[in-house]
Amino acid sequence: MAGFSELIKNFDKTRDYIRDFFIYGCKIRSDFERKSIRTYGDEKRRVESWMGDCMRYDDSVRGRSVSISADSGHIHENPLYNAYYSKSFTDNDIRLHFLLTDILQDGQKRTLKELVDSLNSDYGQLFDKQTVRNKLREYVDEGIIIAEKVGKTLFYSLTEHIADDYLRDLNGLDDALRFFSETQHFGIIGNSILKMLGLKNDIFFIKHNYIIHTLEDILMPEILAAMEEKRFISFRTFSAKKTTDAAALSAENQVVPMKVLVSVQTGRRYLAAYIPALKRFSAFRLDYMKTVKKGDICESYDEIKLKFERNIPRCFGVSFGMRRDSGAVTPMKITFYVDEEKEHFVLDRLEREKRCCTLEKTGEHLYTLTADVFDPNEIMHWAKTFIGRIVRIEGGADAVRRRFYSDISRMNRMYGGDDNEHIQ
Amino acid sequence: MNIFSEIYGTYFRIAAKLLENEAADEKMVRETVQREGFRDSVLFLPQKLIPSGEDWGLFRRGSDNTLRRITKKAPVKVLTKLQRMWLKAKLSDPRIRLFMNIETLSALDKKLGDVPPLYNMEQFHFTDRFSDSDDYVNEQYIANFRAVLEAVKSRRIMFIEFVSGNGKRINGKFVLLKMEYSPKNDKFRAYCYLLRNDKVRSSGIINIGRISKIVDTGRVFRTPVSVEEYFSDRKCSSPAVVSVTSERNGVERFMLEFASYEKHTVRDLETGRYTVELWYDAQDETELLIQLLSFGPVIEILGPKHLREQAASRIKRQAELLAMYGEETRNDT
Repeated sequence: MAGFSELIKNFDKTRDYIRDFFIYGCKIRSDFERKSIRTYGDEKRRVESWMGDCMRYDDSVRGRSVSISADSGHIHENPLYNAYYSKSFTDNDIRLHFLLTDILQDGQKRTLKELVDSLNSDYGQLFDKQTVRNKLREYVDEGIIIAEKVGKTLFYSLTEHIADDYLRDLNGLDDALRFFSETQHFGIIGNSILKMLGLKNDIFFIKHNYIIHTLEDILMPEILAAMEEKRFISFRTFSAKKTTDAAALSAENQVVPMKVLVSVQTGRRYLAAYIPALKRFSAFRLDYMKTVKKGDICESYDEIKLKFERNIPRCFGVSFGMRRDSGAVTPMKITFYVDEEKEHFVLDRLEREKRCCTLEKTGEHLYTLTADVFDPNEIMHWAKTFIGRIVRIEGGADAVRRRFYSDISRMNRMYGGDDNEHIQ
Repeated sequence: MNIFSEIYGTYFRIAAKLLENEAADEKMVRETVQREGFRDSVLFLPQKLIPSGEDWGLFRRGSDNTLRRITKKAPVKVLTKLQRMWLKAKLSDPRIRLFMNIETLSALDKKLGDVPPLYNMEQFHFTDRFSDSDDYVNEQYIANFRAVLEAVKSRRIMFIEFVSGNGKRINGKFVLLKMEYSPKNDKFRAYCYLLRNDKVRSSGIINIGRISKIVDTGRVFRTPVSVEEYFSDRKCSSPAVVSVTSERNGVERFMLEFASYEKHTVRDLETGRYTVELWYDAQDETELLIQLLSFGPVIEILGPKHLREQAASRIKRQAELLAMYGEETRNDT
């Protein structure tokens, strides 16, 4: 394919594609309506190149579908890290990287002029001052090079933070890197250190591992910095349902970031934030967010944060609520049947998974969970993992209870049981 | 300052690797690219490294046809500010104590200087993590963890006493293959083989938090063992087959929640349903079953037969329970 490059400029576009390959797993080329055939082909080829054996192809009458199928509990390294290692660059970028660090390796401080002269005389490489200055500035930001002003002149030297020294002096760092390179938060950064040192994680596997989260890490430094600096952020969102790029570029949201909410069971991560326009808290899926930008300082950040901290204990998951929409909701009570003698493991499960709810014994073999939460609907996905033990549900919202009874009735029919007239 | 930067990129890393030696040759370049690069890098990268007119100029061809690097020394491996900020953040993670003692951690802190942490633990909240996580500050736990870690690395045979998931006290000689961490449980486990007369008797998993005693026997298990074989022994004999509908955004929710499984998906154009085959570890069958049931009627377990029967039995029991307490239920709704 003419003009194909393994390297990418636009991380968002790649995120969008990987998500589709990864999540749906059965889309064919014509399903990617909003993309050109060329773009589809290039993105597919890159993902294939990164994912290796995890790619799966299936032919059907509609065409060939491409998907990512990884048993992520049985891999040593997240293959999606490769997306981060594919940033495009110019010839000057790579030349200056190796030459400037080579010159400065002796520990001496040099001026811009001395560096430009050295590039020319010692390496036969002609660079104009501005190009070198820009690269130095960039590397000062990256913490690779230190700039110090002596009088009116800037002197440049190499940072003293050499990875090999860290590894030599700090016993156990190598194993810590192996572990943290595959776990939250920002495993990719640990992986970049491991790779630089020529090490690999060959010890740890991660169960319940949502490898796609790494792609959202691209947004996180900006979000976390905004939290630290008590600023607004603005962002746009991907939309899986829109079919054109223009339509997919939805309106910009402006919010006050509070916390990152991580679900280790559903594969989703959210940004909990305050929406000034609506005067309420909400949670935004990180995998739908893109182009996050820090904004102005939020003068009332501390006040909002205080309110948030008062609110978050009443979120079972990430939802701040139905209450405003449906009026007051009484606490939901779910009663479970448990034979304590033979089924203590069920009580153990309830105890360790109940989150902000309370659990009490309310009768012979009966245990009642009380959930005073903003959105009772959020509990039901979890509550249904106890199917076969739920005796009754009280309080909460009528619609939530009705849906549960209707779900059990439908499931009973689906799995060949009699539709019980007592179930509503 | 961004992790999506060429300085961490595969091409830079390959170039750095080759620049470690004063001289290289074309074969070495191609082999390194093949080994360290992406699948197709060998089509694009060698010509940028080997003097060719379109190369980056990092090597010159020597008189003996070798490739001589233009740099004077092997590339220096510096930790960027982002990497140091990440390390600084890890100092606040209790799990770091499993790997490094207090003195080493304070030496790391000192080395990192006043670089700010990339994040604070308080900026994150795990919404559905189980509450009975391992106790990472308990000295006995730390000692056990390190003993397991060393045993995995050295393949030493260990005598271990522990309490199993159903409360049984077990002891024996084990060879430990790998370690596993679950963010859902916030627990570490070790994949192991139980030995009898120095031969593999059975495979298993030991929760580090349940170990009461671990002693190095001083002997190394020299028989080659394959982790792939260990995994395949524990795999289900046939995949779970699930029909998923788009009701309540079921497809997206399901695909995301089960993204960590090896799976195969087929879409039925007429019904709009997706049929998904999921491969799972046999010992996790109950966990899978309850996870599937939590989707309610949005999905249907089609097979294997025993999994469907387990689902049916739980649902039947649920319907009976609701019927038994039906009067109250009706009054309530």
